[in-house]
Amino acid sequence: MTSATLTVASAPDRPRRNYELADVHHLASRMMLYLLAFTAVSVVGFPLFWMVLCSFKPGGELYATPPSFLPREWTLQNYRDLFVQTNFPTYFANSLIVAGGATLLSLVIGGLGAYSLSRFKFFGIAAFSNAALICYMLPEVLIVLPLYIYVVKLGLADTLFALIIANTAFTLPLALWFMRSYFNAIPVSLEESAMIDGCTRLQAMRRVTVPLALPGIISVGVFAFNHAWNEFLFALVFTSSERNKTLPLGLATWIGQDNIYSWGMLLAGAVLVTIPVVLFYLLVQRKLVVGLSEGGTKGE
Amino acid sequence: MAEARAALRGDRTLAYATLAPSVFLLLLLAGVPTITVFSTAMQDIGMGDMSGPYVGFENFAWALTSEAFYTALRNTFVWVFGSVALEMALGLGLALLLNKTFMFRGVARAIILAPYLVPTVVAVLVWRYMFHDIVGIINAGLLSIGIIDKPLLWLNSQSLAMLSVILVGVWKFFPFVVIALLGILQSIPQEQYEAAKIDGASSFQQFWRITLPYVMPVFLLTALLRTIWSFHKFEIIYLMTGGGPLDATTTLPILVYLKAFTDFEFGRGAAVAILTFAILVIFLGLYFALIKRAEDRQ
Repeated sequence: MTSATLTVASAPDRPRRNYELADVHHLASRMMLYLLAFTAVSVVGFPLFWMVLCSFKPGGELYATPPSFLPREWTLQNYRDLFVQTNFPTYFANSLIVAGGATLLSLVIGGLGAYSLSRFKFFGIAAFSNAALICYMLPEVLIVLPLYIYVVKLGLADTLFALIIANTAFTLPLALWFMRSYFNAIPVSLEESAMIDGCTRLQAMRRVTVPLALPGIISVGVFAFNHAWNEFLFALVFTSSERNKTLPLGLATWIGQDNIYSWGMLLAGAVLVTIPVVLFYLLVQRKLVVGLSEGGTKGE
Repeated sequence: MAEARAALRGDRTLAYATLAPSVFLLLLLAGVPTITVFSTAMQDIGMGDMSGPYVGFENFAWALTSEAFYTALRNTFVWVFGSVALEMALGLGLALLLNKTFMFRGVARAIILAPYLVPTVVAVLVWRYMFHDIVGIINAGLLSIGIIDKPLLWLNSQSLAMLSVILVGVWKFFPFVVIALLGILQSIPQEQYEAAKIDGASSFQQFWRITLPYVMPVFLLTALLRTIWSFHKFEIIYLMTGGGPLDATTTLPILVYLKAFTDFEFGRGAAVAILTFAILVIFLGLYFALIKRAEDRQ
C-alpha cells in the first residue's frame, strides 16, 4: 500500500523535479555570468574611476595612508590650481592646434589620395597603396632620429608646425586605406550622372562622393585627431621650450616632480585630457549610425 | 554615358595630381628617413651640427658586442611575450563574456573598452599614482588584507618593475583584442550551436569544436599584430619607468632613445634602431604571409 502510493505519488513528480534542477542550473550559470561581468568591469574600470574620484580630493587626503575611498570633502581646488598655477592652458591650446592641424591635413591630403587610389588604375597607383601600408608598419623609433636631424637642420625644431607634419605623415597611411574603401563603396555611376547633369569632375566629387563618404571621413578624422592628441615621442624629441609643449609632454614632465605638482593637479589634468577623447568617441558613434542610414537611402 | 565614363577613367592628370601630396609627404617623412637612418648609423654623430665622420659598421659592431643591447633584447622579449600572452588570454575571456546577453551589457562593454581610448599619458599617470609605494592604493590594499607586510616598490625595484609595466600595458591594450575577437564571435552562425546542442554537445565541447576553430585565424592575426606593436612600443615604458631602475625595463626602443638623446650618440642609437627593425621585419613578413594565406583561402 505505502509503496504503491509512493510510486503513484512520485511518478508525476519526477519530470517536475528535473525541471527545477534545470532551473537551478540555469540560475546558477546566470549568477556566475553576472558575477564575472561585475568583477571584470570593476577591475578594468577601477583605475579611471579612481582617477576621477581622486581629482576631487583635497591635498591632505591624496597623501593620506591608508587612502580614503570616497573624498571626505569634495573640492575643485586641483582643477583651479591647474589653470592658475601651471601652463596647462598653453598645453591644451597647443594640443588643439597640433591635433586639429594634423586632422585637417590628413583628411584633405588623404582624401584626395584615396580618391585617386579608388578611381584610377594607372601605373604605380596600386604599388603606392601597398607602400603606404608598409609606411604604417614602420616603427616610430626607426625614423625619429633622421627626422630629428632634418628638423634641426631646417630650423623647425621646437615648432608646432613640425609636430603637425609628423603627425599627418603617421595618420596618412590609414587615412588613405580607410577612405579608399569608403570611396570604393560609392558607385562611379553616381559621379557619371552628376557629370552628365553638367557638373565638372571636381563638383561631382564635392557634391556627390564626399557627402556620401562622410561617415567614413568623420571616423578617419576622429582617428587622426586621437592619434595626434595622444602622440608623445615626436613631441618629446622635437620640443624643447615650455611654450610649445603639448598636453602629453607637459603632463609627462610633471610626473615625478611631486614636490611642485601635486598628484591632485596631475589627476585633474589627466581627467581633462581624457574628456575630448571620450566626447569624440560618443560623437562618432552617433554620427556613424545616422550617417550610414542617411547615406543608404540617398544612395538608392 | 560612355563619354563620361571614359572621361572619368582616363583622367591621368587628375589621378596623379590628387595622389601627389600623399606621395610627397610619405616619401619625405617615411621613405627618405628609412634610407638616411642607415647613413646616420654609419656616422659618429654627436649633438651640435648633427653630422660627423663616417665610421663604417663600427656602431653596429658596438651594438652587437655590447651588454646593453642584449639586455635590451631580452627585456624586449619579456615585455612583448608577457604582455601579448596576457592580452590575448584576457581579451578572449572578456570577448566571450561580452558575447553573451545580459543586462547592462552596453555599459559593461563601454567600460571594458575604455582603457584603449584613454591617452597613454593618462593611463601612466593613474597607474603611477596607484603603484606609488607610500600613497598608492595597491600597496594600501595588499597591506590591509595582509598579503604583504611592508610596502612594495613596484616601479623602483629590479624584480617588480617589468611586471608592473606589463600589467599597465595589458590594461591599456587588451581591449583591442576584445574588439577584434568580438567582431568574429558575433559572425559565427548560430545554427552550428543549435545543431551541436541537438547532438548533445556540452558547452565546453561547443567552445572547443565550434568557437575556437572559427575564431583561430583572427586570434592569430591579432596576436601577431599586438606582437608587432608591442615590439616598438616606446611611450608607455618610458613614461612608467624611463627604462629603469638601472636597465630593468630598458627595451630596444628605449635604448634607441637613451643612446641618442641622453648619451648624445646618434650613430649608436640609429644602429640599434636598424637592428630592432630587422627583427621586426621577420614578424612583419609573418603577418603579411598570414594575411595572404587567409585571402587565398577565401
